[in-house]
Parts: sequence; structure tokens; C-alpha cells
Amino acid sequence: MIIEFGLYALVLSLATAIVLSVLPAVGAWRGDANLMAVAPVAALGQFVLVTISFGVLMHAHLVSDFSVANVWQNSHSLIPTLYKVSGVWGNHEGSMMLWLFILSLFSALVALFGGNLPASLKANVLAVQGWISAAFILFIVLTSNPFLRIFPPPPEGRDLNPVLQDVGLAIHPPLLYLGYVGFSVCFSFAVAALMEGRIDAAWARWVRPWALAAWTFLTAGIAMGSYWAYYELGWGGWWFWDPVENASFMPWLAGTALLHSALVMEKREALKIWTVLLAILTFSLSLLGTFLVRSGVLTSVHAFASDPSRGVFILAILVIFIGGALTLFALRAGSLTAGGLFAPVSREGALVLNNLILTVSTATVLIGTLYPMALESLTGEKISVGAPFFNLTFGLLMLPLLLAVPFGPLLAWKRADLLGAAQRLFFAVAAGFVIAIAIWYFENGGPVLAVLGIALAFYLMVGALTDLWFRGGFGKVPFSTALRRLAGLPRSAIGTAFAHFGLGVSVLGIIAVSAFQTENVVEMKPGQTVEAGGYVLKFEGMKRGQGPNFTEDRGTFSLTKAGVSVGQISSSKRVYMARQMPTTEAGIRTFGLSQFYVALGDLMPDGGIVVRVWWKPFIICIWFGALIMMAGGFISLSDRRLRVGAPARRAKKVAAPALEAAE
Amino acid sequence: MTRKQKRLAIISGGVGFIVVAVFLVMFAFSQSVSYFYVPGDLAKADVKPGTRIRLGGLVKTGSWVRGEGTTSTFEVTDTLSTVKVTYTGILPDLFREGQGVVAEGAFVAGSPVFVADTVLAKHDETYMPKDVADRLKAQGVELSGKEKIK
Amino acid sequence: MLFWILVSCLTALLAVALLAPLLRRPATAGGEHSHDVEVYRDQMAEVDRDAAAGLISSEEADYARAEIGRRLLSSADKASKETDGAQAAQRRSRHPLAQAFIILILPAIGIGLYLLTGNPGAPDAPLAARLANPGNDVSLLLAKAENHLIQNPDDGAGWDLVAPIYLRNRRPGDAANAYRQAIRIRGESVERLGGLGEAIVMSNQGLVNSEATDAFRKALSLDRNDARSEFYLAYALEQEGRSMEALAAFQALAKSSAPDAPWQPLVAQHIANLQKGTSEAKPGQGPANPDAPGNPTAADIAAAQDMSAGDRQQMIQNMVAGLSEKLKANPNNFEGWMRLVRSYAMLKQADKAGEALESALKTFPADSQQGKQLVALAAQFGIKAPEAKP
Repeated sequence: MIIEFGLYALVLSLATAIVLSVLPAVGAWRGDANLMAVAPVAALGQFVLVTISFGVLMHAHLVSDFSVANVWQNSHSLIPTLYKVSGVWGNHEGSMMLWLFILSLFSALVALFGGNLPASLKANVLAVQGWISAAFILFIVLTSNPFLRIFPPPPEGRDLNPVLQDVGLAIHPPLLYLGYVGFSVCFSFAVAALMEGRIDAAWARWVRPWALAAWTFLTAGIAMGSYWAYYELGWGGWWFWDPVENASFMPWLAGTALLHSALVMEKREALKIWTVLLAILTFSLSLLGTFLVRSGVLTSVHAFASDPSRGVFILAILVIFIGGALTLFALRAGSLTAGGLFAPVSREGALVLNNLILTVSTATVLIGTLYPMALESLTGEKISVGAPFFNLTFGLLMLPLLLAVPFGPLLAWKRADLLGAAQRLFFAVAAGFVIAIAIWYFENGGPVLAVLGIALAFYLMVGALTDLWFRGGFGKVPFSTALRRLAGLPRSAIGTAFAHFGLGVSVLGIIAVSAFQTENVVEMKPGQTVEAGGYVLKFEGMKRGQGPNFTEDRGTFSLTKAGVSVGQISSSKRVYMARQMPTTEAGIRTFGLSQFYVALGDLMPDGGIVVRVWWKPFIICIWFGALIMMAGGFISLSDRRLRVGAPARRAKKVAAPALEAAE
Repeated sequence: MTRKQKRLAIISGGVGFIVVAVFLVMFAFSQSVSYFYVPGDLAKADVKPGTRIRLGGLVKTGSWVRGEGTTSTFEVTDTLSTVKVTYTGILPDLFREGQGVVAEGAFVAGSPVFVADTVLAKHDETYMPKDVADRLKAQGVELSGKEKIK
Repeated sequence: MLFWILVSCLTALLAVALLAPLLRRPATAGGEHSHDVEVYRDQMAEVDRDAAAGLISSEEADYARAEIGRRLLSSADKASKETDGAQAAQRRSRHPLAQAFIILILPAIGIGLYLLTGNPGAPDAPLAARLANPGNDVSLLLAKAENHLIQNPDDGAGWDLVAPIYLRNRRPGDAANAYRQAIRIRGESVERLGGLGEAIVMSNQGLVNSEATDAFRKALSLDRNDARSEFYLAYALEQEGRSMEALAAFQALAKSSAPDAPWQPLVAQHIANLQKGTSEAKPGQGPANPDAPGNPTAADIAAAQDMSAGDRQQMIQNMVAGLSEKLKANPNNFEGWMRLVRSYAMLKQADKAGEALESALKTFPADSQQGKQLVALAAQFGIKAPEAKP
């Protein structure tokens, strides 16, 4: 009965979403406050219903109710409780439920914290969220119903895909979806603003916290996914330019552009049309990603199962929402007035450059991702566009952006002094080169290009600090005064510095790993050793082991550096019983920012085993940088200014209109 | 600069950047795109030695031989013709005889042996190389989906 | 019943919540533009702060103030007009249309779509409750035993118990594993080895491979009269094309078994087939491909054990017909065509064999390697190839 109630709650949430779609929009159009007041109630109601439904599905997984087809296909009574929970979204139906849950969560958040928005804007935003929700609930109920039943219930489940039996599944998809779906709010803001025809600096201020929140979660989600793939797949790689990775990376790039252009719009009321377009495109890319992953067009670990009817349905959603929004945009864009003027060399100019490069890069990734599919459907030829393509195009295109990043915050609005900024950054450039040459020497050479790359990374980091240095006035005013000024800086300025610094850290990790990593594939017998990155790995032997739902052959290794023991590593090959599926658990040991990585291969008939070892210098930086970017996002999000007109201040304001008008 | 000139500077800079990007993409496509073949295609298509391709098919039963150290050889078949493949490194967990595989690499001049540098074999009930499945289906090979529990 | 009560409560609760904002006294719409004013004021204050902190020059600050001031003025202007207009507009009805919409759509979509997609009245079935009260659900009992064995993999008696059940339920992979575990823990026995062999045969679609024959041989070394092992070893010889030896082995089995043993009819059938085969077909045809569709699986053989001669003939006919269908849908299967032609020839249906050959040659032209083999095979049975196409 509980299960059926979950389905009913889901269906009822569709009805609520339809109410949310219609009444508030009509209210905003007719200026009817009562109809508009339905919006927050409906959004919260929808959230409660979806939460009930999602909770019921989770309950079914927890108690291993195999009368639910979804549980039977993707769970097993013996897997640890954590995987029973995370297994809820480790499959198509469940992941769509998570998608919907987070979409409803964002609608509810807008309803709760949107007190600073004009009533009609809030009503329209929630209505647009209602449209998206309605489309996806319909999709779930009609093509991906997670509450399908089987009677009589099978005795045992078919197990969660062993690759997914990892903490990563508990963290990566929710974070990623918080980002992916979070951009729906920006989309709704854009569509709402276009419907009202009122797009101004204040709109940019209101949309920014949502873009920032979504961006922050997406950054975390992508980084987490990358680290998960790195340690789980046992291939030693951390980014594969896999179409599914690209599908999450494209909204991130567009979202990054959106964050920056919204800044220009808020400060100068320039780039209005562009910002609205970006808000639409960013979520469109999220939808496109959902389509690519969920329709079975792509094959990857993410494509759980394919069913053509789903693909067509999502494609229809995609076409209606993207097409509709862009049509509305085309109708209204002409009526938007141009904003403030600025010189090419100015903060605005720098942000335009940022936008240009980010969108062109996004387009490149999009082409590389879609071209093989387009070619196949047109000519039947099958090609693969792999990492070399993306490394060449994306890498080169990003280069000027990375060079320009430290300049941005140093330039003044409207008209700026490029030479002055360059002088201020002189120290960053010099520091970059000194540190790069030091690292190069320390790592015993390597490609000369690596020196330039590492110099670039440190230039980014020092450049980010340079901005804070000059804003604080260090060197000009007494140290304590400068510190106080630093503490008094707007949070968003500190957040910017963090994010740019984090970018530098990630670049450092990427360059260092590509340039200095060492790899060895050897066959080893107990007692034999292999060397990588100055460490000597000795194979101690294999041992059989037993997990809750798998058996494993665990290889134990000891690691020494210069004759001194620094610890043990073990890697194992597991066979998961229910699916008889083998996996490799890599052994990873972290030394500072670097890692030693061991993956087992095949057992040889003579008792040896193939072992793959890597020394990955500075690899932690890749994800650590993302964490710093994320911290920057949160710091910026805590900026008081993003909540201007928030409920606390509103009490005062409600009584104030007449007063303000008199001003 | 006048307002017009400023705008012109920005627009021409932008257009210039896009043009560069377009050329870069086209260059990269010409360099780094690899075509997918099954063994049966190779007779028809003239694949030059050294050209990177992806070779897909089933691992022929009984053909997998572990050589010296970490080198293995096996044969990829679409049931009509087969191609011998050598690979040095760790084969993926799911590599099995009689199952689907995609090998990336190139032929060496003067030899019919395909030298792979990457071997992908990720497949089970829910995940099998789509390229392989499509082609094999087109050639009439039934892929047995293993139903573990009735 | 409780379910429907809950459903109605939830729906009613939701309806009340959604209707409430409509029934309230007309709220005064806050001015749309007063929110903008708030933002611009804040921007103004920020410029002042930045200027005071020396982050921007006073000249820049003045520019910024002028710009923000323009926006502030225009918004404040609109805001004042709005509040006047808003007061006038607030004379609305109680929204009968909107109310009707909510009251209708909640049950209409809720109940309607639920009845379409749900299973009203279907009970929950959490595993713990089912295991506590399994009734006579064999598969559930098996699952219970499986869970026990996963946690206590050294319980030999448990493996002995589940292995034959797996075999009966046609889960040969699990059966083979269970027999192996039982052998590991409790040692070899005729029953376990024979079962293991049978499981391997079944998982290979009827092919008695070397792994299986090893098991059967070991079983025979423990008990020289184990009929099952003898049968499969003979069958292995037959599959290898060593017809004479297979025939001898089957005949020995028939002799050594009791005349009313349940496997006698099956053995007799094999003997008959082999006698026919050895007299009509020349040796050296090569082994049949056991993976090819239509080959009898161990399960089919088991089924054949209980059949009368007429039924058995029918089963063979059905299998051949099934193969023919498969090949029609999917002609690119050389082994399959070889089998089909041979089967029809053995069944003395020369016309059908001819038709099969003709269809086969469409896919494998007579001048191709496979085509030649097909024609040669047919010729052995005296079946003429139709007009060879160029």
C-alpha cells in the first residue's frame, strides 16, 4: 500500500504542477495578487508530494521490496544499506526521480526565499518551473514509472551494477543534479522576464544567487564524478571527454559565462540580451545532457537502459522548451534597450572576452560531442571523436582565457588602464616562472612546455591573490589597516579571488600530471619490485577475501622510498556474485598532493599477475582546485547584497512604497 | 575611439576568434577522428597502415593467447571474417572470449595484425558497446542477453 | 480501503491548501518596481562604500552614482504610479474559474492517471516479511538458502541441497558453482560429479565439453555403473563425430542397464540414429556445431526421456521447424543451414531439404566456400542442388 501511495503522490504532484503552471501565470498577466499567491503554495505542495514519492521509492529499496520492478532490477537484499539508498538513483527511473526531486526542491526554494522578488516575477518564475516539472513528471509516469510492480515478487534482486557500488554514487549524482537542475531557475527567470518584457539590472541581481548556487554544485558534482571515475574504473584517468562527461561540462562552461555576464548586466545594465540568452542556453544544455544520457543515444556507464519511446519523449520536451524559450526570446529581444557603454579595455570588456571564449569553447565541445551522432544518422558512418580532438581545440581555445583571468578583477569598470594592470601582475608572472622552473628541476626535467604550463598555473594563483593585495592596499597602508580592509571587502570579491585561485590550482594539477606522471605495466610475482616516481613497489602476495556480496583476490604491496618503508597498498579484483561481474578496485596512496596508484590486471597461469602502477604528481590539485572554486562560490553566495530585499528587510519595505515614491 | 570604432573593434575581435576556433575544429577533426570498423568492413574499406581506427566485434572463442609479459593476442570476429589483434597492457575486467570488444589502434605496414593501444570491453545486460551491437545485429549475429534469474 | 482514505485525505488537504490563497481577502499587490528601487539603493550604498575605501576613484564613483541614480529615479517613478493603480485594481471576485480548475484537476488527473498506471490494492512485499513467512514458495526458500550460503560459504550440506534445485530450475551456472562448492567442502561423489557434468553440459547448450567429460570420467571411476556418466560420455563421442565408438558405448549402456530403466528409450533413439547415420552418411563430416540453434539442449534431452516415440518424433519436427524459422529471419548462419539440410535429409524429407539448400545458397552462393560445402553435404544425401546461380 505504501508503494502505491508513492505512485499516487507522484501523479498528484503532476496535477499540482499543472495548477502551478497555469494560475500564477494568469495572475501575473492580469495583475491578480490572489492568483499569484497560489504559486508558492503550489510549489511547496508539489515539493512535499514529490518528496513523499521519492521517500517511498527509497523505502522500497531499503526494505528490498522486490514486488517493485525497479528494486528488483537494481538492488539486492545483501548490499550494504548505503548502496540500497544510493541505488535508488543508480538506474534510469530512480535518477529521473532524483532529477524531479531536485527540480521541485529548487521551486520550493524560490517560493521560500524569493521574498525579495516582485510578485509577478516570482509568480512567473514559479509557473515556468511548474511547466518544466509537469513535463518531467509526465515523462516519468508514462515512460519511466519507478513504481511498476511484479507479482508474484521475485525472490531476490538482480543487484546494483557493481561499478556503482561505491560512496561515489551517494555523492556524485545529487551534487551534479543540484547543479544541472539548479540552472532551471535561471531559465525560468529568463523566460519570466521575457514574458513580462522587463529586464533590467535588478533582474540580474536577483538571478545571480541562483546561477551561483547551481554553478557551485555543478563544479562540485563534476569534480566528484571525475575523482570517482579516477579511482573506480582503475584506468588511472580522471577525465575521458566521454560524451556524458561533456554533457555535464557544457552547462558548466555556459553557466560560468552566465555568472560573469550577469555581473556586467547588474553593474552596467549592458549585455542584457546576451545574459538572458545565456540563461536559456545553459539550461538547454542541461536538458540536452539529460536527453543524451537518458535516451540511450549514448552508451556509457551512465546510460542505464535504452528505450526509444523515452528518447522521443525527452526530445519532445527538449524541442518544446528550448524552441519555445528561443522563440519568445526572438520576439522580445528587439524591444530590449541597449545598456551602458564601455571601452574595449575595461572590466566589461574583460568579461565579454570571458564570455566569448567560454561560449566558443562550449560550442567546440558541443560539436565534438554531437558530430559523430549527426554523421551516423546522416551517412551511417561511425566515427569516434576522442580526447585528442578536445585536448587540441578546447585546450588551445582556453589558453587566452587563462592568460586573461587575473586581469579581469584588476580592471576598472567602463574604461581601464591595461598597462597599470599588467604592471600589477608583473610579480605574478615572475613568481609563476620561478616556481615553475623550481618544480621542473625537482621533477627531474620533463617537457619544456610543462614549464610554461606550470608558470601559467602559478600566475593564475598569484594573480588572484594580487587582486586581494591591491584591494586591501597592502604595502600602501599599514598592514593592520590593510587586513581590516581585506576583511571588509564584499564577500563576492573574496569569492572571485578564491574561484580564480582554485582554477589555477586545477590547472597546476592537470599540467603536472600530464607532464610528469610515470606509468609502468609489468607482470609481477610475489617478491618482485617495480619502480615509479622514485618509489619502489614490492609485490607481497595475493589473498582471497570475502565481502558482503562479492569475493575478491586482494594483492598486497609494500612501498618504499630510498629504502625506507612508507606504507602498504592493496588493490583487488572482485567478482560480484549476483551478476557474476568482475571489477577492479585500484589501490591509491596519497603523498602530499601526489598519488601512487596501483591497479591489478589478469592473473597469469604461472602465478604472476599483471600490475599497472602510476606515479601521479600533483594530481590531487585537480580536485582540490575545484573544491577551492566551490568554496569561492559559497563565499560569494553568502554576500549580503545578493539577498537585498530579503524577507527581513521586506517588513520595513511593505510600509515604504509611498515613502520611496516621494523620493 | 568613437563609439562606432569601439563596437567595430569588439565585433571584429569576436569574429576573428570564432574564425580561429572554426579552423581549429576542422583541423582537429582531420587529425584525430577515428572510424569504426568491424572485421568484415576491412576488406571493402582500404585502411592504410598507421591510420587510427576502432575495430569492433566479438572476441573469437579460443583465440585469446597471453604472450610474453603483458602482451596478449586475440582475434576479433564478426563471424564472417576475423582480424588478429595484439595488445600490450591490462585487458579490461569484462574482456571475455565470445563477448563484444572494441579495440583502438592501427595496422602496422606489411602485417595483417592490428596493434591496439586501447581495448574497451564494457558490457553486461545494461551496458555493451553500442557500435558493436548495431553492426553485429546488422550482420545477423544474435547477441545472447544473459538472463540471470527468471 | 485504508489506501483510498489516505488518497482522499491527501487530495483534499492539497485542494484546501491551494484554494486558500484564492479565498483570502484580495491581497494588496506590492508595487512591482519598489523591489527594483531597493536593489538600486543598495548599489548606490555600495559605490559610496567603495569610494570611501579608496577602491575606486572619486571620478569613477561619480559616474557610477549618476548611472545608478538614473535607474533609481525611473524605477521610483514607476513604483509610485504602480501603487496608485494597484489600489484601484484590487476589486476582484473570488475566482470561481480558478477554484473549479483546482477542484476538478486534482482528482481528475490524480485518480485518472493513477488508475491508468498503478495497481490499486497491490500489497507491499518487503523481503524481511516474506522471508519470515515464506509459505511454499520454492524460489523464496531457495533465496533464503542462497543468502545463508553467501554468509556461510563453507556449509557443504547447504550447497548439496541447492545444487540439484538449481539444475531442475535450469540455472546451470549456479548449479555448477554449487556442485563445485560442495565438492570443495565435502569431497567428490558420483552424485556431485555427475551433477556438475550435467550442469556444465546444460550451460553449454548441450555440448559435452572436456570439462564435463572430466567430471563424468571421475564419477565413473567412483562408480563404474553410473548410467548418467556413461550416457553423457557416449553422447560426447557422438558429438565429436566418432559415431562407431559412440554407438558401441550406447549399446553397452543399453545392455548394462535394467531393461525398464527410464533412460532406455533415449538410449535406443541414439542407437537408432547412429546406426542410420553410420550406414548412410560417410564419416568425417566433422562435428556438429553445438552452439548452432536447433541443437538439442540437455533440457530437451531430459524432456525426451519422458516421451513416447511419437512425441519424440514430434519434438524433433518442432525443433527443425524452429530452426527453419530462425534461419528465415536470420539467414546469415552457415552452421544453421548445414544443420537444417542435414536434419531434413535425416527425416527423409528430401523436398524440404532441397528447399533449404536453395534458400541457403541465396546467402552463400554455390561458388563460395560455404556454398560448396552445402552442396557437398546435400549430395551425400542424394539431394540435388537447384540450378546454380551465376
